[in-house]
Amino acid sequence: MSSSYERIFNLPLGPQHPALKEPVLLDLKVEGEHVVDVALDVSYNHRGMEKAAEYRTYVQDLYLIERICGICNIAHTLSFCQCVEGLHGKEIPERAKYLRVIAEELERIQSHLLWLGVAAHEIGFDTFFMYIWLDREISLDLMEEFAGNRITTSYNAIGGVKRDMTPEVANKMKKGMDKLEERVKFYKKVVLSERTVMKRTMGIGILRRDAAIQLNAVGPTLRASGVDMDARADDPYAAHSLVPFKVVTNEGCDAFSRIIVRLDETLESINMIRYCIEKLPSGPLLQRLPRRVPAGDFLTRVEAPRGELVHFLRADGSDKPYRYKVKTPTFSNLAPLREMLRSKGKYVVNVADVPVILASIDPCFSCTSRTEVVKS
Amino acid sequence: MDVLSSTFQLFIFPGFLFFILLSFLFEWMDRKLYAGMQRRIGPLYTGPLGLLQPIADFIKLMKKEDLTPKYSDKKIFNSVPLLMCALMLTVMLILPVAGESGVVSFTGDVIFAIAAMTLFCILIFLAGFSSMSPYPLLGAERAVLLLLGFEIPLMLSIAGCCIASGSIEISAIVSWQASHGWNILGPQLLGFAIFLVAIQAELERIPFDIPDAEQEIVAGWMTEYSGRKLALIRMARNLELVFMSALAATLYLGGPLGLPPQWAEGIAFPVYFLLKTVAILLILTIIRGIFARVRIDQMVAFAWRYLIPLSFLQVALTLIWRLI
Repeated sequence: MSSSYERIFNLPLGPQHPALKEPVLLDLKVEGEHVVDVALDVSYNHRGMEKAAEYRTYVQDLYLIERICGICNIAHTLSFCQCVEGLHGKEIPERAKYLRVIAEELERIQSHLLWLGVAAHEIGFDTFFMYIWLDREISLDLMEEFAGNRITTSYNAIGGVKRDMTPEVANKMKKGMDKLEERVKFYKKVVLSERTVMKRTMGIGILRRDAAIQLNAVGPTLRASGVDMDARADDPYAAHSLVPFKVVTNEGCDAFSRIIVRLDETLESINMIRYCIEKLPSGPLLQRLPRRVPAGDFLTRVEAPRGELVHFLRADGSDKPYRYKVKTPTFSNLAPLREMLRSKGKYVVNVADVPVILASIDPCFSCTSRTEVVKS
Repeated sequence: MDVLSSTFQLFIFPGFLFFILLSFLFEWMDRKLYAGMQRRIGPLYTGPLGLLQPIADFIKLMKKEDLTPKYSDKKIFNSVPLLMCALMLTVMLILPVAGESGVVSFTGDVIFAIAAMTLFCILIFLAGFSSMSPYPLLGAERAVLLLLGFEIPLMLSIAGCCIASGSIEISAIVSWQASHGWNILGPQLLGFAIFLVAIQAELERIPFDIPDAEQEIVAGWMTEYSGRKLALIRMARNLELVFMSALAATLYLGGPLGLPPQWAEGIAFPVYFLLKTVAILLILTIIRGIFARVRIDQMVAFAWRYLIPLSFLQVALTLIWRLI
């Protein structure tokens, strides 16, 4: 061994660590303050959701699938409902489509604000973190008014949605959106003018455009590398083909541009909700569907707050799924994460940058821990 | 009588007990103001307005299980918390609280204060290295780098005060300020700013809380400490906070001297001292509230690029001002 190798030692970040909200092991090889290499182990929270789904009926599965992720529960139920509705070959009522978009975008707002707070916390800016999380309460309160619950909402149902939007709620929603827009614009101003924030995020966690495509990054992580890709625009579902919105991209390729992309997306979501409230058609909420689902395969893509979420359903004609498969956005972002965490040439990763880079993909490891390894 | 009064001075006021209680009070004020800045409430339930929370935390930590890592250098590991407390309590005695001079006063006590600050950093380094585990090791490494960045500006800014008053004795600096006006009013204003930034780093507070950056290296050099030892370390750090704020108040804001009526000096001096020290604490806490943590390389670059040239400039200005 050469002398330079003897100075390299292992710094385990996780599975329990203050920077992590969920268990994951980043086994860093560090030389002084520089990260040389990293090994990822994500499987600390295997819950057997997919297998459990096979033993329950579709109606029961709706509540199980919702619990894959607390923050993006609406995206998960939406995917599940779309799979079942797709196999039935039935369209859902127009009003339900619009309400699904409102629910989805409201979820995106609270998820992005949550993420922004976490990112501020990771760079040691706790005051910013506390401010953001207090304003996130606005969106959570609106969610409670709108869907009946703050987080695990059970809003989507097979064939439509469960709760109507009353005019009072629509009014409250409009007011809340104005307040949120003002706050998010203020936060964008802070991020763009606060020097310590820029110092800690600019040029950190670089993921070039070609690497992002090659390594299959998704969601804001991909869009911050300048790739114009969004399931809402590329493969419109619910009422997305009717609601105009701009796919936010940024050419920065670093953690800072990921902050900007998420802030801009939040503003886009606010506008989409306003549009949906304005154009909300009247009509029924729910299209009743039979309990037994026709045999066949169905795959949906939904743009969850963290990126593209893929659900796959194989039905055999009974009232239970034959096989259910979920691929969460964090899983797709793991390979790009490893790329970001390795020093290469002039690109140096400090130990202090690791939490920032890790947070910049908005990881959700408990949703991801599903991969099964079969040894022959 | 003389023995009794000096014992009282040493142990009660303005000695150990006073400073320990003051350190708890400062922790409470720091936490409460920091919480207020973040739209939180802060300590609330223990005592009026949560005033007793730091003491409750101290007692709680004292009761907790005390672990020593198997592979640590046990002698050093166990003695560091005690040494830290002892060092801080000793150096506290030079602070002028109830009069122009502290309990202990001698020519060169300014140098003693500077030496104590450096010794504190060395103790941090020892704590980290005796733990023999990756996080404390990185924390200790960072603490030493921080020392490299901020020791020189700190010393130079203090040197500015000494040059201005022509003495290296705290009581002389204080009495000089009484007759010539506070140091902060002269060219020392720049020195005051440098001093505040430097002690923010010395105290390891945001934006320079790099050696114990929670999100990166858990608790840094304190990671392996628990129970009684952690309680003592926390107390030593609170004492350091009091000491640094009080030193700033003494060197730049005229210490305990103010405009007291002659008959009320005994009460007025400590009150003035406390008011000025708390004012410094407020500035320190506001700095802590409005910044994000910088990286260690950025910090060292900042110190050598801006702070050190500025502190040389300030010393030069003081010299010119004194010659005129």
